[in-house]
Amino acid sequence: MKRRSSSIFGIWLPLAAVPAFALLLAFSLIRMLDVESNMRVDAEQNMLWVLHQAEVAALRLTSTIALAEAGAASTDDVALRFDILQSRIALLHAGPQHRFIEQINFTDTLDQLSRTLDSLVPEIAAFTPNAGPGLRSQLAPFARRLGQAANVAMITEWDDLGGRLEAQRQQLHQAIASLVGIMIAGAVLTVTLIQALRQSHRRNRMLRRERDFSALLIASSGEGILAVGNDGRCTLWSSAMADITGKSEGQAMGKALADIANFFATPAVDQGVTRALDGTASRLTLQPLIQPGGATTLHVDLHAFPMRDDGAVLGAILLLHDASDRYAAQQKQALDRDRLEELVIERTQDLDSALQRERSAAELYRNFAAMVSHQFRTPLAVADSALQRLIRRGSRARPDEIIERANRARGAIAGLTRLVDSTLDTARLDAGQISTRQVECDLGKIVEAVCTRQRQATPSHRLVLHKESDNDSIALCDPAHAEHVLENLLSNAIKYAPPEASITVSMHGDEQTLSCDVHHDGEPIPEHDRAHLFERNYRGASSVGIAGTGIGLFMARTLIRMQGGELSLQPDSHGVTFRLTLPRVAGAKT
Amino acid sequence: MWRLFTIWLGGLTLIGTATLANSAPRLPESVAAKDAAPKQTLLQITGNTRGKTVDLTRADLRALPNATLTTSTVVTDGTHEFRGFLMRDLLEQMDIQGSQVTAMALNDYAVNIPVEDFYRFNVIVAYAMDGKRLKRAGKGPLWIVYPRDAHKALQDIRYDYRWVWQLYRLEVQ
Repeated sequence: MKRRSSSIFGIWLPLAAVPAFALLLAFSLIRMLDVESNMRVDAEQNMLWVLHQAEVAALRLTSTIALAEAGAASTDDVALRFDILQSRIALLHAGPQHRFIEQINFTDTLDQLSRTLDSLVPEIAAFTPNAGPGLRSQLAPFARRLGQAANVAMITEWDDLGGRLEAQRQQLHQAIASLVGIMIAGAVLTVTLIQALRQSHRRNRMLRRERDFSALLIASSGEGILAVGNDGRCTLWSSAMADITGKSEGQAMGKALADIANFFATPAVDQGVTRALDGTASRLTLQPLIQPGGATTLHVDLHAFPMRDDGAVLGAILLLHDASDRYAAQQKQALDRDRLEELVIERTQDLDSALQRERSAAELYRNFAAMVSHQFRTPLAVADSALQRLIRRGSRARPDEIIERANRARGAIAGLTRLVDSTLDTARLDAGQISTRQVECDLGKIVEAVCTRQRQATPSHRLVLHKESDNDSIALCDPAHAEHVLENLLSNAIKYAPPEASITVSMHGDEQTLSCDVHHDGEPIPEHDRAHLFERNYRGASSVGIAGTGIGLFMARTLIRMQGGELSLQPDSHGVTFRLTLPRVAGAKT
Repeated sequence: MWRLFTIWLGGLTLIGTATLANSAPRLPESVAAKDAAPKQTLLQITGNTRGKTVDLTRADLRALPNATLTTSTVVTDGTHEFRGFLMRDLLEQMDIQGSQVTAMALNDYAVNIPVEDFYRFNVIVAYAMDGKRLKRAGKGPLWIVYPRDAHKALQDIRYDYRWVWQLYRLEVQ
């Protein structure tokens, strides 16, 4: 209900007021023009005056004739007054005056008076005082008739005037009523106008507020916002945009985007803007943006939207979001992933080697059982039989025989001890319990000591030592391990060299390294054994029937390598040569 | 509306005075006589004329620069061609100065005309209409004519009463 009434007052009333205003205005204007035209007074309305002047002229002619009769006026005076009366009558015969005469039905009387006047012309021309009374009697009707006509004229004119005033009053009343209507319509229009103004003012204020709010949103969103027109020129440049690109609003407004920053000239961004201007939104992520001066490179996400009005594209809006943090996070993630992969590989290798060690340990224990049954029994049996013989001989035994038997038993026990030691060494190696140290020591003295001990232990074999020089056999190594390895190499040579064959130990070296070759003239190691010789628990074809655990060379190489050295089998065409190389200085290549 | 009525009343008053004026000024002899005679005075000028009356004969008036004017009048139908002389020419030729002229007719009709009128409009004193001399038994011998058709302002009863016919005297103040 309220809505209907408001629509009546809000729309229909002003709409009705406009034509009403115009119609009333036109009507009152017409009425006013009527009044104005009626107010024009024609001279013919002065007929009362004209008739009275004629009457006065007649009276003065009569009185002048009377004066002439008495000799107080001249003939010329009579002629003048007659001319004046003639002039007055002639005036009544002229156009407008005569029409009024007709209106008041005075035509016949006037014609009669005119004829009388015309007939008097000769008498006036030849005027004598004696003719005066006759003339006066003939002129008598003039004043009377003209006076009557004036009377009628007055009444007619007053009637006419009264009627005209009446009509004008009515016209003015209508005009006044119209004006009141105009005032009302005007008031309605004024009220409507004021309301419209107030509403417009209110809406303007609302729009301003919304605009300010939008501006606040744009400013506080932190996203760089810019708008371009269809010509590709910038029409909006937010403060965040200025922060991102380093170009102020003043530097950007009205310019082509490519001229503002190189970023917008890059093919991807340029294509995005072009597509937005064609009406398609697009999104680009992590585009590199080099700030002026090239100090920092940001990575930004870019959204390009077309700006439409009634379906037509007016321009484009670009949102730039500084995603440098995300980019950095991604980069870090990738880095972490790589590191993780490396770590996994490393760990896998560790696990593999641990597994390898476990397997080796299992193998060792398996082999250990076999070895115990085979390798350990022999010396035990040797020692047992030697001791049994001693017991059996009892007191018959000679002292040298006792010594010989005891030595044999001891030898067997010593071999057994070595077996146990080497087995334990392997276990300790696997457990990582063996540590090495690198100190400068005289390898030549160690070699001499080992050779001397070996000669005493196995005098049957010939052992030859070659040294290039006496005073330059210093190397970086753990003396205990070096001695152990050399003993191993020498005992191997004695084990595998044919009896009576000579064993040669020769030392040589350069500035970086010092080497020691252990050579015997035995059968060369078969090709397929050479590759596996240094593997744990590997025993070559030539080891059949020779006591051993298959651990010695593996241990020897591992220990030497731990000291930065190398142990290798030299490719000889005759005999077998193992070469031990140790560094003279730290980090030297062996 | 009221002004109209007042003017009308003024007309009544004028009639009254004209009717009661027994002591009308004595007409100059020459004017009273037949105007046909060339030596007779047709127009008298009094007032600012350095103490003497200026008498002008027909010949004197004809000697003034001729002026013609075609116009309608309020007392006749149609338009007429009037011939005479400009009122301002008359005053200038006679070297008469003033702000107002009282024009008087033979029937004692008198009206005040501001001299300004003669300079704003080409007001003439006509002695002939449509090529015929104005006679005393008509509007003659002289008739003040305003260029009524040329100026809308002149189509007003306040100018209409200044059209004095049977003019015989001008009193300049």
